This record gives sequence, C-alpha cells and structure tokens, in this order.
Amino acid sequence: MNSRLDRREFLRLVGAGAGASFLAACAPSATAPAVSAAASGAAAEPLSLPIVKTPLTLTYWCPMSSNVSATMKTFAEIACYKELEKRTRIHIDFQHPPLNQEQEQFNLLAASGTYPDVIEYNWLTNAPGGPARFLRDGVIVRLNDLIDRYAPNLKRVLSEHPEWRKQILTDEGDIYAFPFLRSDVKLLVSTGLAMREDWLDKLSLRAPTTLDEWRSVLKAFKDRDANGNGKGDELPLSTWASSPGPGGGSRGAFSRYSFVGAWGIGMEWFQESGAIKYGPLQPQFREFLALMSQWYKDGLIDPDVFATNQNAMDAKVTNNLVGAASMQGGNGIGKYAGLMAGKGTFKLTPVQQPVLKAGDKILLGGRDNNYPGQGAAAITSSNKKAIETVKMLDYAYSPEGSLLFNFGIEGTSYTMVNGSPTYTDAILHDPKIPSAQMISRFARGNFNGPFVQDVRYITQYYELPEQKKALDVWTLPSNEKLLPPTTITQDESKKYATTMSDINTRFDEVFTRVWSGKSSLDEWDSFVKALPGMGINDALKIQQNALDRYNKRPG
Amino acid sequence: MVIALPRRPRAFRESPSERAFGIATVAILVALMAVTLYPLMYVLVASFSLPGELTQHRGLLFAPLGFTLEAYRRVFENPVILSGYRNTVFIVVVGTTINVFMTALGAYALSRRNVLFRDPLMFFIVFTMFFGGGLIPTYLLVSQTLHLGNSLWALILPGAVHTLNLIIMRTAFNAVPVALEEAARIDGANDWTILFRIYLPLSWPVVAVMILFYGVSHWNAFFSALVYIRDRDLYPLQLVLREILISSNVQNMATDVSSGDVLAIGETIKYATIIVATLPILVVYPYLQRYFVKGVAIGAIKE
Amino acid sequence: MRTTATSLEVVATLPLPVRKPRWQVVSRDLRRNKHIYLMLLPVLLYYVVFHYGPMYGVIIAFQDFNPVKGVFGSKWVGLQNFQDFFSSVYFGRLIFNTIALNVLDLVFGFPAPIVLALLINELRWNPFKRLVQTVTYLPHFISVVVVVGMLVDFLARDGLVNQVLATTDPIAYLQSPDWFRQLYVGSGIWQHVGWGSIVYLAAIATVDPQLYDAAKVDGAGRFRQMWHVTIPWILPTIVILLILRMGAMMTIGYEKIILMYNPLTYETADVISTYVYRRGILQADFSFSAAVGLFNSLINFGLLIGANRLSRRLTEHSLW
Repeated sequence: MNSRLDRREFLRLVGAGAGASFLAACAPSATAPAVSAAASGAAAEPLSLPIVKTPLTLTYWCPMSSNVSATMKTFAEIACYKELEKRTRIHIDFQHPPLNQEQEQFNLLAASGTYPDVIEYNWLTNAPGGPARFLRDGVIVRLNDLIDRYAPNLKRVLSEHPEWRKQILTDEGDIYAFPFLRSDVKLLVSTGLAMREDWLDKLSLRAPTTLDEWRSVLKAFKDRDANGNGKGDELPLSTWASSPGPGGGSRGAFSRYSFVGAWGIGMEWFQESGAIKYGPLQPQFREFLALMSQWYKDGLIDPDVFATNQNAMDAKVTNNLVGAASMQGGNGIGKYAGLMAGKGTFKLTPVQQPVLKAGDKILLGGRDNNYPGQGAAAITSSNKKAIETVKMLDYAYSPEGSLLFNFGIEGTSYTMVNGSPTYTDAILHDPKIPSAQMISRFARGNFNGPFVQDVRYITQYYELPEQKKALDVWTLPSNEKLLPPTTITQDESKKYATTMSDINTRFDEVFTRVWSGKSSLDEWDSFVKALPGMGINDALKIQQNALDRYNKRPG
Repeated sequence: MVIALPRRPRAFRESPSERAFGIATVAILVALMAVTLYPLMYVLVASFSLPGELTQHRGLLFAPLGFTLEAYRRVFENPVILSGYRNTVFIVVVGTTINVFMTALGAYALSRRNVLFRDPLMFFIVFTMFFGGGLIPTYLLVSQTLHLGNSLWALILPGAVHTLNLIIMRTAFNAVPVALEEAARIDGANDWTILFRIYLPLSWPVVAVMILFYGVSHWNAFFSALVYIRDRDLYPLQLVLREILISSNVQNMATDVSSGDVLAIGETIKYATIIVATLPILVVYPYLQRYFVKGVAIGAIKE
Repeated sequence: MRTTATSLEVVATLPLPVRKPRWQVVSRDLRRNKHIYLMLLPVLLYYVVFHYGPMYGVIIAFQDFNPVKGVFGSKWVGLQNFQDFFSSVYFGRLIFNTIALNVLDLVFGFPAPIVLALLINELRWNPFKRLVQTVTYLPHFISVVVVVGMLVDFLARDGLVNQVLATTDPIAYLQSPDWFRQLYVGSGIWQHVGWGSIVYLAAIATVDPQLYDAAKVDGAGRFRQMWHVTIPWILPTIVILLILRMGAMMTIGYEKIILMYNPLTYETADVISTYVYRRGILQADFSFSAAVGLFNSLINFGLLIGANRLSRRLTEHSLW
C-alpha cells in the first residue's frame, strides 16, 4: 500500500538522513584528518575549520585601541574578525571599556562576579595581585591542558621558543592566557637616541659612538651655531625627563638606558648572571651622574629638561633648537619628519647608544620583552565553551591566522609579493587616514592581541629610511642584563610598594638636584648611604626572590 | 549666566574718592577680563590653526596660524558625536529638573525653624560629604542591586542632590523674612504653597544658579559615564570628546611621512573639543538670563 | 486678710509646667510639620540609598582588598594600611604641603570671588556688568591640561614671563620649589574666580533695593553702603561657604599638580594625593588609597565640626 510504502520509505529516508548527518558530524571538513583527542604528551588535536557546526557566540572583553576607535565602533568591525567569524563560525560579541579606562573597568569587572567568556587584558602588569591570584580566585582558568590538547598552533610556537614560554608562565608554571608575542628583536625597541643629521653634516662631524665623542659633538652644536641663527640658543641634548607615567619621574630620563647603559648598569633594577642589582647602588652610577651634571653645567643639556612636556618638546624640536634627543621611531622620528617636511634641512638620524671606550659593546639598552603583557586573552570561569574558545584563539597562531591578524585580508589590505605579505598602497598612503588607523581597520598587527606579531609589519610601517635605520641601530645592545618579566607575590608586593614609593621619590629628588647642579655629588653620596635605612635591602631581596622563581620556571 | 543685580543709581553727590574707586573698579575688571578671556581666545584661535604651525608656536596667540576646519571636521565626523549630544541633552534636562526639585524640597524643609529633627538631619546629610563607600560598593549598588548599569539613569540618579548646592539653597531660603511665611500661614497656606508660591519666586537668582550649577555639572560629567556606560551609543558628549582626543593623540601611532599635519592634529583637536563642549553653554545662557529678572519686591509684607 | 498678692505668690499658686514625655513631643512635631517631613522624604531616601547604602565600603581601608573576593571576603589587616602611610619618610612633608596649599588658597583664593562680586555690584552700566560676568567665568570650562600647558609655556626660561620681565638671569619658575605654591594658587584663582563669584552675585541679587535707598538717605556713600548693606546681606553665604572650605583642608586634587610638578619641586609640590597616585602605579592598591582617604576625611570632618561650632558661637550662622 501507499501508506505502508511511504512509511517504510519514510523510515529509510529518516534513517539514511540521520546516518548521513551523523557521519557528517563526525567527519572532518576541508583540511586535516580528524584525530581523536590524545593524552597529553601526544600531538594535540589539529585545528579544523569551521570550529563549530551551529553558530556560537562568545562574549569578549578587551581594551579599545585608539587606532580602532577613530573609525570603528567595536573590534567586530575589523576585517580580520569578520573573516575569522566566517572561517570559524564563532561570533564574537565585543565589550570595550572606554579608551584608557581599562584598569578601572577591569577592577569593576572583577568585583562584579559575572565575567564574559574571554577577558583580554594586560594580566602581567595591570592585574592587581598578578595573574596567579586570578587563577587562584577562580576568575580565569588554567590553560595548560587545554592548550596541550586543543591548541596545536600555540603549542608549536611555544615549543619552538622555550624562552617565550617561560615568560608567559606564572611562577607556578601555569599558563593563564593566550599571549601577545613580539617575534623579532626589531619589534622590541621603539625608543632610542636620534640626532640632527643636517647639523652633523653642516659641521662636518660624524655620529658619535663614545661618550667623549658625544661631548665634542654636543659642544660643537652649541659653540658653532649649528642652527645657523647667530644665537647660542641650541639645546644640544634634550628630552623630557619628567613624566608622571610608570618609569617616569627622573627614572624615565633619557629612556632609562641611553647613557647609563654605557657603564653596563641600569637606572633601576637589572640583573647580572642571576643576581639582582639596583643601579643607584653601583659605583658606576656616580660616574654617570657626575658626567651628566658636568654636561649640564657646560650647557650641553637643555636646562629646562625637568619642566618640559610633550608640547614644549615638540616646539623645541620644530624650532630647530634641539640637537639630539631620545625619542620614538614613530611618534618621534616619523612625526618630526612629517612636521618639518619642506622646512629647511631638518633631518634626524638614529644614533647608537654611547659606550665608554671605542670598540666597547653596548651592554644595556631599553628593550621590551617578547611577552610585554598586553593583549593576553584569558578564558574565564563563566565560559561554558572553553574548548571551542581555545580552538578559536589558537587559530591566530596558525600560519593562515597569523597572516590574518597581522596583515588583514589578502587582496584588500595586503598582497603577496615574492612570498612576503606586503601592505597595499591604499592602506599605507590613504590621503585622509593615517596608516596606523588604516591598518587597524583590517588587522591587529600594529597594536596588540593574542597572536604572534610579525616583524614584516614594522619593516613596512616604518617607511622613512631613518626609521628603518633605527630598527638596526637601536637594537644593537646585547641586553643580557635586562630583567625578564618577573612577578612579585601578593604578600611581598605591599612591602615592596611601600618601600619603593619613598625610595623612588627620594631618588627623583636627589638625582635631579645633583644633575642640575643644585646640589653637589655629596648629596648623592648621602642618598646612597641612606638607602639601606630606607629598606633597599628588603626590596633587593624581594626582587631577587622574584628572579629566582622566574629562573626556576619549567621552561 | 548673568545674574541681574539690583540697580545702583548714581548717588546725589559723589565724592572724589568714590569716583576714583569707580574708575579703579572698572580698570581692575577690564584687566581681569583681558586675563580671563585670553585662555578661551587662545583655545578658539588654536582650534582653527594649522597643527604644524601651532606646534612650533611659542608665547601669546591672538590669531589663527593658517586656517583650517580639519579639527572640527574630525570631531563631527565621529560616529557617535550626535548621539553624544542627544544623550547629554537628555541628562541635562531630566537631571537638572530632578536636581532642582529635590534640592528645593530639601533646602526648604531644612530651613524651617521649628522642625525637631532639623539639625540631626543636617548632620546626617553633611556626613556624606566626608565619608562614603568608594567606587566599588557604589558600582555594585547601581549596576547590580538597582540594575541601572549601562543606562542614562545611572548618570542621573546617583547624583540627584549635591550637598553643597543644598546648603547654598538653604542659606538663601534662610534669608527670606519670616514675616512672609507667617503672613502666608495666617492666610491658610501650607508648606507646599509657601515653597512654590513665595520662597522660590523670591529666590529666583539662587534657583537660577542651581540650574546653572547642576546643568553645567551634568554637561561636563564624564566620570560616571566612564564607569557605568558600555554602549558607545549611550556615551554622553564629554566621553565622546575624550575619546576623540585620545584617539588623535599620536602616542600610540607610528606615522607615515606625508601627513605631518595629520599627526599633530591631536593638538588642535584638543582645542576644538573644548570649544564644541563650551559653546552650547555660551549660546544657551543669554536665553536663560532673560528669565532671571530680579525677584519680586519684598514690600509685599502687610505691616 | 490680704487683698494683693506678690508676683511670687501668684506664681507659686500656678500649676507647675509638666515635662512632656518625649514621644509626645516627637509626634506633635511630626503632625505639625508633616509636609516638611514629606518633602524631606525623597531627599533622605536618596541619601540613604546612594550614600549610606554603599558606606560599608569604608572597611576597605582596614582590609587587604581583593575585588574578586569583595568587601566581605577580603582579608582583614586592621591598621596596617594606615601604618604604611604614616611610616613613610615623607609623611610629614605631604601633610604640610597639602595644608599649606590649602591655607594659601583659603587666604587668597577664598576672598577673591567675594571681592569680584562686590566690584561687579558697584558697576552702574548694565551691559558692561553683564559682559564682565560672562567673560570672567569662561576659564572655568577650560580643562586643566590646557591651562597648565599655557603655564608651562609662559613660565619657561625663554617664555613670555621672563621675556617681559627681562631680567639678566631668567628664572626657571617651574623648577623652583619656592615658586610652586604661588603659581598653583595664583593660576587657580585666575581660572576659577569668575565662576566662584556667581554664588555671591546671586546672593547680592536678592538684596532689597530699599535697603540701599535707606542707606543713601542716611548719607551713606558707596563704601558705607557696601559695608552696611551688601556685606551683611551676603555674610550668611560667606560664613557657610567658609565653614565648608575648612572641611576641605586636607583635600587637594592630584591632576593639576601632576601636570605642574617635577622632582625639583617635590619639596613644596608633593602632596598626599600625588604620593598616593605614584604609589598606585607601583601596585594598584585599593586599600592603601582607601585608608589615606579615610584619614583625610576624618581630619576634614573634625575641622568642619570645629569650624561649625566656632561659627555658631561667633555668628548665628552654622550648618547645624
């Protein structure tokens, strides 16, 4: 009968259909063959796209970037995320605190008790008490096993770079977030010394390498009227030495290492073969300070160096007063080149840090760590789809994902030229929108995020020859003495903060007074003698503990 | 906002010292005006200047260096600038109404003399000027307990009364002669009538100042919005301007060569945002001023 | 037999006044002033909900606060945070600088708007009067960042001030601790005197013109009118605002100082809030700043109560 046939037909069809869909669910799509989840130690499950069958939405809290906010409302509008959604079928619901308000909002978020699925933040430096505390308090989850099983790309990256792995762990060996990693040394240095090349040419001078050469050059700038206006108004060396931000006060002076590094010591904390050292306690610091105050007395340093802000600095540079200064590659060299284009002979050239004697190696320069801390995506305890989230975050570390996050969409924001991704002209030279913002419409490569930053971004971004040269010159220091990203325990941090608040304040005062000649070096000597009484030994011990714990981390 | 002061007709005879005083007064005030006007003029002029020129400039500034509307263009191009204005207008209108209403009630009630709990209540209120729970408990209260998070009400209700304003208004109410109140009571009026029919009209200048203080405070507010608002569509004006400002600050950006002015534009945008924020107040104020005519003559007391 | 009685005897025969029970006094007050209390209801409700509600947060000052654990879950440390603050080498200096700036501001900054209001009141030509009012309050709206930016430019070694004064040795004002206080207070007056005068102008506006007429009839010139009419009229406002000002002697915002100071001027410029700010960079420490804030508030409140009591004795004006 029709009905019975139909019924059997129907069942068969349903059965077949069910079987088909069952098979489809189990079968892999497109790329790699499916491998069942292996025990840890074996290979992790390869990533297959799309990650989910039914669309999934994840809530994602992360700081807004000024590059993005200029033209877009949320990160969801960035082309790389739109493409990511297409590929993974996971929709990301972005939540952004107002610009530069991340820290306060983060604390409120932590206090609220309900968390979005992912929190991307600078857990390393901006999470009060450190990431370990948030793991312990159950806000975010430990990722080691999840990465081991479901994040093959990140796993590969970390195994190829054990030193990076060490940086992203807590002292107990926990991975707490998908990190932002700067892959190449050229990405690690953004600030350094720069000098007026046209002045050097005019006075037939070579760029100085030793401190003595620096002295002669600076003196020549002043005595021989380098800016050619007949007035002795040159400020051979300037910077703004006083800024309220972290590393500010006078400890920010000359980007921390530009000159003091010549003696192989740092302004504050550094390490020598595993032993913590505090710069001001070293005898070489006194030599550094003596030299600086001598230069100040001789008029080689801008007398207003302590009461200058960014605007005043810009005015001095663009008014042809400054001979050399510490500045950034983008916001310094690039900006001034742009402002002074077509106005006289203005040309800046990056200069290496001075050394004591010709032929010395530069021991200490300023350099970020490969893992600077920001842009680290942690998975919260409120997340019910941790595995899918891990897979999605892992995609950014795959070759295709890396291209997506660093360069954007092939054909639109970049093209492959000789196998190397090259930003298109439309991106770099839009008449109205600065290249930084244009890139950010398509990718995150020029600010941060949970992926590995590709060095080819910066080599294209820095278009001026002098900016490209800066990448070479400023990365000369060997930097074995730099402090890695250690963490202080919660119990120690209060003591540390109490002690160092006072020490830093005193340091700032004495340093600036001696340097500017208001006090003699005797005051410096008294300061150094007073340091143990102010608790420097406790602070040393705390830092040493942190370093020891760091070195013991399972690589 | 201009307060209409009682007229000061010329005395029958002015002594030479008084005339000298009059001239000195004018001279001082003119000098003061010049000095206080200068910052605003600087800001106005700088907002139209070419950023590159502005960077190089030192010292006084009286006219724009070059002329460009680029800074303003950037401000008004921002996708949420219009909603910023709209949100702020809402907050100002609704907020100020609530503020003035509640403040008037409180000030009147606390200025009555024979109220038993007046002093303890005053203490109770002033105490809150000094002690409070801080950001996190307040945040939890507003967003979790009251569910006002991410709404404009979170910017209005927690600030419904500013204690300082309450005190100022109470002081003004204290100055109204008691005889008026007594006369009204004899006529059978209750406190509501006395407040709205007698005290408020007589204290118009102070009411005007309340409207001004609360209105401006709402107009300039951004901290509450920073804390409670998540949707960019709900950002009040100051928050939008703040964001524009931070975005154009070149600190985070690497730069490309051709756009020297594009980079330094952060400077002029800073000034343009101040003008954009202040101008509406300057425009609205003459209209406000018309309503604040001096109060009714007090000679209405029946002796 | 007596026909007249002395007053004492009369009084002695009157019934003694009975002391009313407390609740009766209260209920009579509530009944008589029911509208008053009704008016107060929304206002008090506001304070209870939004100010007393979160007030439990005060104990953050006595804890090692962890936002995740919240106020009720964080560890109690008693006075440790306060001890951390008091034990700072700079404790005395910070307090002194904070108070010094406030005292200077009290002595010069508090009367300035009053003087301005009185001067404006003396003007006769209304358009000019309105102009002065409008112009002088404008700088209040300019952000402190811009104002300090101007200051830095004017006060540089080769800046405007040094050029105008044209001395042989230009003074680096912002690098000298001796100048900081004057510059801070002076620029504050410059920026806020106009806005501050509004309150006093409003008070002056309510004065009965007949009082001026009466004074003129009595032969009073401008000064005497000011002294006998205007000033007494606004005295309650002045006194109240003065009392409140005393309740802020420990408070100085950090924003402007951070923009103006540098290590060379720490000696006079470093105040409690800037120190706490710098410390907050080392370790985001809610408890520490809560403790410092509580300490400040206690002192401020004490000063307020003292000022209030003093005022109650000397004048009839007080907060309560």
